[in-house]
Amino acid sequence: MAGHRWRLQDLRVIILGVVFVVAWGGIGYRLFQVQGADAAELAERGFNQRVRHEEILPKRGTIYDRDGVELAITVYGSSLVADPAVVGDPAQAAAVLAPILGENLADLTIKLGREGRYALLSRGLEHAEAEVLGTAIAEADLQGFLLVEEAVRVYPSGSLAAPVVGLTRLDDGAGIEGIESIMDDALSGRAGKRIVERDGAGRAIPQGEYLIEPAVPGSDVYLTIDREIQHTAERALSSVMDQTGAVGGSVVVIVPETGRILAMVSLPAFDPNERSSLDADSIRNRAVADVYEPGSTLKVVAVAGALELGIVGPETVIETPPEITIADEIFADVAEHPRAMTVADIVAKSSNVGTIEIQDRLGNERHYAYLDAFGLGRPSSIDFNPESAGRLDHFTDWCYSTCGASAAIGYGIGATPLQMAGLYATIANDGEWVEPHVVAEIVGPDGSRISSEPRTRRVISAETAVMLRRMLQQVVEGGTGFRAEIDSFTVGGKTGTSDKFDVDLGEYSTTETIAWFVGIAPIDDPAIVTVVVLDTPTGFLDDGTELKFGGASAAPVFAEIAESALHQLGVAPDKG
Amino acid sequence: MTAGALTRLGRVPASRLKIRPVMRPLAFFTIAVVLVFFTMIYSRISLDRTAFEMHGIEQGLAQQERLHWDLRLELARLQDPRRITEAAADLGLVYPDERITIEAPGVITETDDGYPRWTASRSLLTELP
Repeated sequence: MAGHRWRLQDLRVIILGVVFVVAWGGIGYRLFQVQGADAAELAERGFNQRVRHEEILPKRGTIYDRDGVELAITVYGSSLVADPAVVGDPAQAAAVLAPILGENLADLTIKLGREGRYALLSRGLEHAEAEVLGTAIAEADLQGFLLVEEAVRVYPSGSLAAPVVGLTRLDDGAGIEGIESIMDDALSGRAGKRIVERDGAGRAIPQGEYLIEPAVPGSDVYLTIDREIQHTAERALSSVMDQTGAVGGSVVVIVPETGRILAMVSLPAFDPNERSSLDADSIRNRAVADVYEPGSTLKVVAVAGALELGIVGPETVIETPPEITIADEIFADVAEHPRAMTVADIVAKSSNVGTIEIQDRLGNERHYAYLDAFGLGRPSSIDFNPESAGRLDHFTDWCYSTCGASAAIGYGIGATPLQMAGLYATIANDGEWVEPHVVAEIVGPDGSRISSEPRTRRVISAETAVMLRRMLQQVVEGGTGFRAEIDSFTVGGKTGTSDKFDVDLGEYSTTETIAWFVGIAPIDDPAIVTVVVLDTPTGFLDDGTELKFGGASAAPVFAEIAESALHQLGVAPDKG
Repeated sequence: MTAGALTRLGRVPASRLKIRPVMRPLAFFTIAVVLVFFTMIYSRISLDRTAFEMHGIEQGLAQQERLHWDLRLELARLQDPRRITEAAADLGLVYPDERITIEAPGVITETDDGYPRWTASRSLLTELP
């Protein structure tokens, strides 16, 4: 273009054109880069930012009593967490929250003032408590606090049957004691999986949720515990422990025909809702973990064996001097009695001398066989862990001189209250031992039901069992167990008092005892067997009788519990 | 565009405004595409709206389930024998020293486990929805 004169506006157009070309070229290049070259990588990065693989926590199964009332239940609660870096004034926040949380003001202030981005202030808050906290936080305009929803395990009846029901861990909800632990696999269920797309604020995008595997809720466990009989038993045992100063106590109420445990008490107990009340002494279920020498309550075994084998009969007369000496050891009776008594009277009067004579006729080997058959020396049930097996040495390990005699009167052998309940339930059930159990049924989330199938075994004949029950009835109506009598029901049972062995001194205490009473009611058609054990009761009754004896302290507790339980069960009175 | 050209456009004869026959299918196609496009957008909006509604319903269900379990907990607490005992004591009730038993034929029935028990009042107390 010869002769063309470049004007200033021409230059401006050219520059503007270049700028536009460069700008649009850059945009085009970036477009190509984002939508073309790096498209796959960027899409994947964006996907990963939005998408979370989450576990769906299963809902823990509920534990019910025999009437279907919840003893342990999971509800949706909250945890209160704080971000100390965002909390403006820790002191002000603590002043608002400490009274509601029940925490020490100074401790809470320190917690909120610490370095870090996370502080757990409280967990296991129920809905009502969380609402109060939320309102307080909002009204005070506190920043940096969040209520996180979580599952909370609650025990509506508090300490009722707590040693049986057990408790769970706070962090992962796993069962650590009692039925919560034994049935943890069934109660836990199975976690599910899902993929969730969340926006920048963490909210789920509705169309972006994909369920891979649904969570399977835990199964529900129905216990045999009757909460009203349980409450009566706890109240009665607690009252006598206050009266006697006993350091511990147990009660077991069992249905002999089925082995179902209607009540199992262990005191002192704990409230699983109050973690501060937990200690090793209160968590222990004494009814299955503590082993005691049964004392006179074990005399029935030697008598049962001798009756079953025809060695003696109820009216067989046995020489019963006030005391006998075996290998320099003296075995004596506490109360005065005739120098010869029938077997029935020996049981009624709880004569040590008479029982030793019967055991001598039975022999150690056969005596051991019946002790084993009645369930001593091994755990009684699969529903308790840990459950002590007690102590029963093989008869070949018994000393030649006095061990047989000691075993006859309940020394040298260790038994748990549950084992003794099973023993007397065998007598009540016409000679058939039925496995004691506390789990009645497991109901799966799909409605499937698994019922307990207790083991059974024949120990003695029905005739022998009836004879024994008649003798036990005499214990109450004319013997050492008269304080166990109930107005409207016939009762049979056995008192027992064993000297407590002092482990530190290595000898038996002369003052401390274990007081027992085991009773059957009604005696003709037994509905329940009840065991009451008191550890170191002291004091005196109004008539001067020492409360350290089973007949004085444990027998009245049996009467109160048994009468109430029989009325609760609708058993028709058979007396009066 | 110059003023002359604009004037010329304003004075285009009406006959030249008719769509030429060859343009008609193209016009219809274009309109159809636009309609389909907007229909798809509307469908997507409806779908998303429904998804949000469903999400809201699911949240509502979850809330009702939470309420259900809270109510069951409340019911279990109300049936706690210790609470009832304390309430009874506050009202001046005491455990009786003497029990009088009246046997009424036909009241006792057997439960599934074969055990006879009073049915009427207990079933009322333990009736669950």
